[in-house]
Amino acid sequence: VSKGPVSVTPSEPKLTIPECFSHLTMAKRIPITQADKDVHPTVLALGQQMATFTIDESITRLKATLLAFKKVIDSYTTPPGNTLARHLTPHVLNPQIDYLTACRPMCFSMGNAIRWLKLQVSKIDPDVPESDAKKQLCGGIDTFIQERISMADLVITEKAAEKIQDSDVILTFGRSSIVERALIHARLINGKKFSVIVLDDPYDRKGQTLAKNLTAEGIRVTYCGDLGGLGYNLQDATSILVSAESMFNNGSMYAPSGTCDIAIAAKQLGISVIVLCETINITERVATDSLTYNEIDPERSSGESLRLLYDTTPDKYLSLVISELGSVQPTSVPDLLRKLEESN
Amino acid sequence: MGPPKGGYAPDLDKFLDTLKSRPVDASVDFLISLLKRRQIQGSESCAIATARVLLQVVAKDKWIDVDQLIGRIQLVGRKLVAAQPHELVIGNIVKRVLGLIRDEASEDRNDIANDSPPGGTTTLPPSIETVPVEKSIRPPSLAAFGSFARSQSMFTLLSDPDFIPSPSSTSQLGSGSSTPQRYPQSTNVQALKSEVIDGIEEIVDEIRQVDEQIQNYADIYIHPGDYIMVHQPSRTVQRFLTRAASKRKFTVLIVVDPSASHISDDPYASFRKALTSGGSTVVNIMNVGLMAYMSRVDKVILGARAITSTGGVVVDSGAAAIARAAREQGRTVIVLGGVYKVSPDSRSHQEAFVEWGSPSKYVNFADGRMVGQVKVRNVVAEFVSSELVNTYVTNLGAHSKDHLHGIIADHYNDEDVNFDLFGKTQR
Repeated sequence: VSKGPVSVTPSEPKLTIPECFSHLTMAKRIPITQADKDVHPTVLALGQQMATFTIDESITRLKATLLAFKKVIDSYTTPPGNTLARHLTPHVLNPQIDYLTACRPMCFSMGNAIRWLKLQVSKIDPDVPESDAKKQLCGGIDTFIQERISMADLVITEKAAEKIQDSDVILTFGRSSIVERALIHARLINGKKFSVIVLDDPYDRKGQTLAKNLTAEGIRVTYCGDLGGLGYNLQDATSILVSAESMFNNGSMYAPSGTCDIAIAAKQLGISVIVLCETINITERVATDSLTYNEIDPERSSGESLRLLYDTTPDKYLSLVISELGSVQPTSVPDLLRKLEESN
Repeated sequence: MGPPKGGYAPDLDKFLDTLKSRPVDASVDFLISLLKRRQIQGSESCAIATARVLLQVVAKDKWIDVDQLIGRIQLVGRKLVAAQPHELVIGNIVKRVLGLIRDEASEDRNDIANDSPPGGTTTLPPSIETVPVEKSIRPPSLAAFGSFARSQSMFTLLSDPDFIPSPSSTSQLGSGSSTPQRYPQSTNVQALKSEVIDGIEEIVDEIRQVDEQIQNYADIYIHPGDYIMVHQPSRTVQRFLTRAASKRKFTVLIVVDPSASHISDDPYASFRKALTSGGSTVVNIMNVGLMAYMSRVDKVILGARAITSTGGVVVDSGAAAIARAAREQGRTVIVLGGVYKVSPDSRSHQEAFVEWGSPSKYVNFADGRMVGQVKVRNVVAEFVSSELVNTYVTNLGAHSKDHLHGIIADHYNDEDVNFDLFGKTQR
């Protein structure tokens, strides 16, 4: 036991990521004291939660960010001689965004939403009084959350639950809250009797939480802590249900690392892979392989070891994408984007 | 993977130490319990233990003719296989020893018939595997052996037309020769005994030399600048890569055992040091899904627990996902394993090769909700089908899937190939 002054947390060891992975992004823990002075306290806290992966799922991060930005806007006053439309984004929003991005690289849904928010700010009529403008923005954010997150989740949960039939064996990977909701919905609301195989990533083991939550609702669960015997475990499954962190414009799915391996094995056995994805997670970008966009796990990576958080599953391994705007073939994901643009 | 503490838990070395002082039956029973408790595990250890215990059977048991000895070895073999049915090498060694006895016995007969001097040149190739394969002489010698051995196996096939695999019969009249007895009463049991014992010793030497011989082929398959992915590398794989790293620089991605990742010291520290000292790069990969890396990987090298006659490979759990990903991305998959791991076993059901382990690997027994309600599975070994493998490198060199039959023909007697060691012990 060391005595004397409490040792200062050692500064992050300098990571030497192997060169072939050096282009990938990684979350960093930035001490609050080093953050820009303009960063709002709510955002400061949120950044820390993101950096430590306390808030992890794309959709959760998005919602938390939008709610934090509401507070930022709420506490904003336009300095004299400026207009909100021209001042808010560069001087107030951008420092928040930069800080959040520094804490953990933005997920695609956050990028989409922030682009939307900036557009809303720029559209504010300079003649509108500041309080009205702020109310208009906050109301807009609320509607956005309502439509793109809450309602979307509800619709997708119901649609996914409808896919589950009696005596099905659904296989899933890790824990995704929307997959969990869909399974529980199918059991409790639709009254289906089916069982679930949970495969897990042994490095974060969130699948154990899912297994417990499902058994609590009376669903029979088989749990396998890694991808060992994958081919064997898949033989029993009737379909695979996963959620996407993001969908690329070419129909590829960005999801927790390991999802692609499962989809490949499922394809070989002719088992359908169903993807749940809110349209806000669809990006117009394109990934050709898993190293185009990815994130390095800061916890488990050092000069000697590396862990990627995501992988990219090409569309040929996927069967169906369920979004709030409809269920489509993965190759039709761009159509969903177009539909969105038209409706706006 | 091994026992956590040094302790008093018996292992291979302790077992080998006790062999001489124990009666044969006690040694067999001891080995059976060690295999059942997985205190001897890993294909090399199992193979050596099996060979050594069979040597004791040959040396210490009272047998008066060849048939009796063969029956005895089959009986012991069945018990050992039943103790650890997933470790195919146990059956391999039993069948190798059976073949060895048959070869030595028929050699005896030839000696009497031809009246040739004892110890003269033999027509059968009982010990091809012991010919030290040096890198320099490999290609010609291998080709020569291949064709030679194949003609031999064809010959025995033809001369043995009404051969029916029968698990219980050990003294069937299969040979087309006019000899009334399968193997003539050897006038000199003692001589046969010492020949067989020497043969078993050679098998043990062969097993021990595998790593050294396989590494000679490393230069051929690993090129400068390669990105090589390995899964929980065995000593065979480590030495293979270390040899290559002494001459060239490349990058090795080691997929580590997730359950060992919380341990602070790197399980592959010395391996890493050996590679990095030559300028190569080593990265431990902390993922179970490896498709993410595959666009960067050039080759995947897997250590085999066993290789079946159809080219399927029994591997550590998790390696099959890598092989699958490699195949999807069009990457090369190379399997390393000694010839003693090539098994005449031809079971085609993949499930037969899945070995289950303790569910406590990832789920804590204190976690009541998991233990009580969830069915927890943990796979220890799984199967990679031959379509996913490009090349097999053994101590005899590189082989294609189609050449594995030749290896089996060279190393096993046809009568033993189909002998069902997995059948329930019937006597």
